[in-house]
Order: sequence, then structure tokens, then C-alpha cells
Amino acid sequence: MSFPYTYISCPCTDVSTPINGSTEQNDDEEQERTFDPRSPRANFSLYTLEHLLYCEDCQQIRCPRCTLEEIVTWYCPNCLFEMPSSMVKSEAGRCTRNCFNCPICIGPLAVTSVHPDPVQRSLLGPWILSCGYCNWTSLEIGWQFKGLQDMRSEMGKLKIGGQYKAANSKTSASTPPTESTPDDDPDSVFTALRSFYNSQLSSSNATDPLLTPSGGINYSSPSSLARIMSLYTGRSSYGKKDPAKSTPMRESVDPSEGLQIFDPASDTAAIEKLRTQGWTSTASTAQQTEQKHPPRFTSDLRPTQAQLRTKRSKRCRTCRHILVKPEAKVQSTRFRIRLVALNYIPTITLKPLQPSPSTQLPLLDLNALPVLRASQFLLTLKNPLFDPVKITLGTPAHAPGKNSHKVTILCPQFDIGPNADQWDEALGDNKNRRASKLLSTSKVEYVGGERGKVAEAGKVWEKGRNWTTVVVEVVCQDVGEDGEGEDVLEIPVFLRMEWEGDTMEREEGGSGSGGGGGLKGEERKEKRELAFWVVVGVGKVGRLEGPTLAASP
Amino acid sequence: MPPKPASSKPKGDYIETDTGNKVARRSQLYGTQNIILGGRTTIQPEVCIRGDLVRAAPPKDPKDPKSGASANTSVMVGRYTFVSTGSILRPPHRLHKGTVSYHPLKIGDHTFIGERCIIEAASIGDHVYIGKGAVLGKMVIVKDWVKVLEGAVVAAGTVVPSGCVVGGRPARVVGEVGDGWGMHEGMEGGDMRELWRSVG
Ligand SMILES: [Zn+2]
Ligand SMILES: [Zn+2]
Ligand SMILES: [Zn+2]
Ligand SMILES: [Zn+2]
Repeated sequence: MSFPYTYISCPCTDVSTPINGSTEQNDDEEQERTFDPRSPRANFSLYTLEHLLYCEDCQQIRCPRCTLEEIVTWYCPNCLFEMPSSMVKSEAGRCTRNCFNCPICIGPLAVTSVHPDPVQRSLLGPWILSCGYCNWTSLEIGWQFKGLQDMRSEMGKLKIGGQYKAANSKTSASTPPTESTPDDDPDSVFTALRSFYNSQLSSSNATDPLLTPSGGINYSSPSSLARIMSLYTGRSSYGKKDPAKSTPMRESVDPSEGLQIFDPASDTAAIEKLRTQGWTSTASTAQQTEQKHPPRFTSDLRPTQAQLRTKRSKRCRTCRHILVKPEAKVQSTRFRIRLVALNYIPTITLKPLQPSPSTQLPLLDLNALPVLRASQFLLTLKNPLFDPVKITLGTPAHAPGKNSHKVTILCPQFDIGPNADQWDEALGDNKNRRASKLLSTSKVEYVGGERGKVAEAGKVWEKGRNWTTVVVEVVCQDVGEDGEGEDVLEIPVFLRMEWEGDTMEREEGGSGSGGGGGLKGEERKEKRELAFWVVVGVGKVGRLEGPTLAASP
Repeated sequence: MPPKPASSKPKGDYIETDTGNKVARRSQLYGTQNIILGGRTTIQPEVCIRGDLVRAAPPKDPKDPKSGASANTSVMVGRYTFVSTGSILRPPHRLHKGTVSYHPLKIGDHTFIGERCIIEAASIGDHVYIGKGAVLGKMVIVKDWVKVLEGAVVAAGTVVPSGCVVGGRPARVVGEVGDGWGMHEGMEGGDMRELWRSVG
């Protein structure tokens, strides 16, 4: 992990915070409880600012936990084909075009021709699939395709090795059953089994669906699910039949019904293969999970169809208002509505304030913070709102964890100016405006660098149009040889912001284009408040290097 | 337009062009007439851009070598895009009817390319963040608002959909960027004006 970083804790995980968004109650209580970034629960509430949304109606931050998602569009990431949602289920969420993934490395497969004449290759087949990453080709399982039109269905008919499957079930039904050769292809075995059990279930529907002929409980049929639901919802009128009276259901007895007789030779063959080809010939778990019917050996892996992805809209879980709505078209990357938190709450950045060159102290290294010596950091908050904001920062005197590093925010209360409107922003790009104070996070700053400036308690370090920087002082304790994340310095900061915002008198169902639009009558100001915990990851605490240690070699 | 050195300021590690491109003196740009920098683009030292690998000119019109100059662009880098030290931008090629044919490499705006990356993609969108040491194979297409993790190897021909985080060797989708990705000045995928200002 690279330092520094900032995570924001969504207030929805705090059960004491009223869901309706007013944080006025429990103020004292809240400030007394310190957020501990090390607690296992913290993992579920910490987000980077870009992942957070903001609900204008609830006036609250919204995270993936407190939003609802709805799928807008299904599409193939490879060919950008948009699949109608009615087709998605029947196609198992896979692309139906010539988008295939490598069975070995899961990279994309390219379609190439293996026509003997190189000049004809762009036009004529036969075609093969080849992986540009691991050099696997479909020739390894003996697959060549006659045409490009419907590779997917041709693939469905092919067996490993390149032979075509025995004629499909419809034709085999017409031929005498004694002729049907056992088809070991997992796909056809599965189809046969499924159609067999479907016919059995429909014929034995009258009986108690919960019990299978063998006396076990059958959870998988829809009628038994209905029965279970009726048990839990208390409607006991369903299916009061004597289980003893159920007509027995037979099992498949024929290869055409999906019966596979265990062949001891296949086991010996597998053992022999393991012995001769070893571990490398076996399919890894990752490779197996991609397959429809996980095989044992890599030689039995098949190319997979590309998995579809989705575009999703997001709603506030509390008030159901839409927070994010992408454009439905696959090609478009635009959003119709996008209420992201970074347009509402300040961005928080931290950078070291390097010791004055005159002190001859080494520069602050975030991967080895000095121990038992005060180091200073610049904490900058940048206001995205068009109103000035009053900020109050609270932090425990000692960072959580057994080492209790000392933390002091030298100026915990300050104001931040309003963000410029769009016209100013447009002009701000002008070179002439470079002279005006711009926030520069990449510039290295020193104590006493500019006009001998030194950090003072109660005083803001620097202020720009819509940003303010304060100094945080940290004294790290010796962490010893603890390891296991104990040497990471994370500071929990409770941030409260207060401002006078425009009242949001939006008409119901309005466009919600980000506020300000649907004001009625004269503008009125309203006092607003928002408070949440922030975790600032400062760096790693270094080793204690006293003069005694330094002198030892 | 190819980067032209501005007349002023001969000193410094960077040459700033009329359109504000900052090109390190210690970068290697081949075939500069085929390279378009969108303006306020930063090219750091030891970056290598192979503008010389250009699609073979159509055999017709041999009298005027300047004909179809616009079709001869091999590398296009967008506005405020930042190419870090040691990266290589190389137009992808493929065998077409037995001959090697180059395809132009196009990179969008506000895109960050980390140190020592090898880029042979066909196109990279806007607000893309490519981590250190990543390899983008031939003809890769990266859509807008994508994060490529450090050290990822994006296999040749991969299409990285918009809003995805990809990583691993070969790279696969491992997550999604937040809805606020690219709206955030100074952060990954965000506005890069400040980074451009800080150079040189
Ligand atoms: Zn939440
Ligand atoms: Zn597809
Ligand atoms: Zn592969
Ligand atoms: Zn809401």
C-alpha cells in the first residue's frame, strides 16, 4: 500500500446515527466514541471518496452498502454487443458472438485462419482460435471451424479431440436405442439427464414432491420449494398426502437418458496420466471454475464464451431516489445523473512538511517515520461546494492501537472558502492566473521555507480560494519488532462541516441534475451540517535509531 | 502537429512547445513527423515513442511523399496526458497478407502512464490510469475511466471495458472504479492540469 491515503467511513455503519440524516442528536456521544480503523468492522465501512455517493434528499453520504443497484444494460465487454435482458438468462450471461476466452490463461482468443496459402488467409478458413498470451490454440484439442458465422453452435457440437458429437437427442430417439453409443461428453450427458428428470418430475407431480423415490429430500424441484415455502409461511393446507403413497420415480437406465456406467478403466487412465504427465497436466481451480463441467486435466479444458458485464443505476436505500443513472447505450460513457460525494464533501490530502534544511534532519520518509521525534504533516481540505464551509476536526490524542502514537491537529477549527463557479474555473485555466494561489500537492514544502513560516497552534498553515491547510503533528512511539500492520500509522479524524446551503425545493421527480436548478421564488439559505469519520493513513513507523545504534558499526 | 521546440529558454530538462507540450530532452522520439501531442502533454525522460513505425503508405501517388500525411500519423497522445519515465509507446503491428502492417496508437486526454510501461495498444481512452510496469499488448483497446494495476500484463487483443479495474498476468477485470473516478483533481484518473503545471 502506498502512503498517504484517505478513507471515509460511511455513516450508515454507525447504528446510532439516525437514518434520516439529521446528525444533531447524540453529538456528545459521537465525539466520545473513537472510530478504530483496526477493528474488523471498519473494513466494511471505509471507502475512498470516489466510491461514495451523496443523497441530496437525505443529505447524507451513501456508500455501496446503503445504495441499491439496478441493471440498466447487459453487454459483452469484448465486442460491446448489447444483449436484451430477455436473452441473458437463456444464454447464461455469456456473449453469443465469436468472443471466447482462453481455457488456459483466460486471455481473449483471436480467430485466425490456417489456410495453407497465406494470401488466402484473410478470406478462407478453416479457422482456429488462438491465445495471444500463452500461445494456446484450439488445435491442441483438435478444433477447427468451418465458418465464422456460428462458431458458438459449431463449438457446441465438437468434442475434445475434434470429433463431432453423436447425433443429437432428437435423431437418436428415432434410431434404435441399442445403437446409441455412450456419449461421454459432459454437455450432452447433462442435457440428457435434465430432460429425463424433467419428464419424471412432470409425471410424478401428483405425489409429494419433497420426497424422492430413494426416500431422500428433494430440494431442487420447484414444487418442493413451494412446499417448503408453505411450511414456513404457516399455510399448512399444502400437500397433506401420505408420503408412503407416493409413486416411486425411476432412475435413468440408458445412455440416452444420461446414464453413465462407471468405467474402472477411466480411473486407471487418469492415474496413468497423472503418473506420466504430472502436476502440470492437471487443471487449476481457477481454470476449473471457468468451465461449465470442470475437467480434471488441462487437455480437457474448452474455450469459454466471454462473460457479459452490466451498466447499473444506483438508488438511495433509504429514500429510493436515484443517485447514479448511466446512459443506457453501451458505447456511451456518460451519466444522466451522478451524485458523487466528492461534489459535496471536502477532499482530504496529506503530505509531509519537511524539516527545515537548517536543522540537518533527514527528510520525512513515509515508509519509515521517525520515532520519538515530532514530525509534521500538512492536511489540506478542499471545498467542492459553492458556499463557504466551517470545518471542525477531532482526533484522539493517541492513535488507536497498542503503540498509541501521539497525534495533534494544531488548528482543529477553520473555514474554507467557496468553490469557484464554472466561469471562474474556465478562466482559471488561463496562464495569467497562475500567479494566484493554486493548490499544489506535488510541491515539496519545508518548515520555514516561505518567509520563515513555522507551524503554530491555533493557526492555519495556508489558505487558498477553496482550500485550507492545517498542520498535524505526530510523535511516533517505538513499535519494536511487532510487524503485522502494527507499524502502520493511521489517524482517525472526525470531520464536521457546517455551511449555509441553498434550500432544495425541488419538484418531485425533477431532473435532479445536481442541485440548484429547481429553486422556487427567492433563494433561501439553510443551515446544513454533515459529520463523518475519516481515516488518514500516514505511513509506516520506522525503527528506533538512537545515536547509540548509529555508532555501533 | 509535431512538437516544435519553442525559441525561448534553451536551458532546463524539458522543451515546451507552442501548444504547451513538455517533452523531456532525454526522451527518444522517433519519426516525430508522425507523432501528434495534443497540447499540454508531458513526456518524461527516457520515454521512447516509436513514431517511425507507421502504416506503409499507399503505393499510389509516389511523386508526392507528403500526400495523405494525416493518414501517416502513428502515435497520438491526448491533452494533459502524462507519460512517465522509461515507458515505451509503440504502434501495434499485425501480419496482413504476409506483410507487417502497423496500426496507429491513440491515447486520450488526462491519461496517466506509469513508469516503465510498454504500450502497444491500439487505443487508450480518457482518464485512464496505468500503473507502473504495466504491459499493454498489441491491439489492446482500453476504454475511458479505467485503472490498470501495477505490473499488469494486458494480453494482446483484449478490450478493457469502461469503468473497470484490471490486473494480473494476463490481466482480467478485478473490480470497478468508483462513480467519482476522473472527477477528482490530483488523484488517479483525475484531472491532470496540476501535474502538467508542476513539470519542468
Ligand atoms: Zn453507507
Ligand atoms: Zn462479444
Ligand atoms: Zn491463453
Ligand atoms: Zn436518500
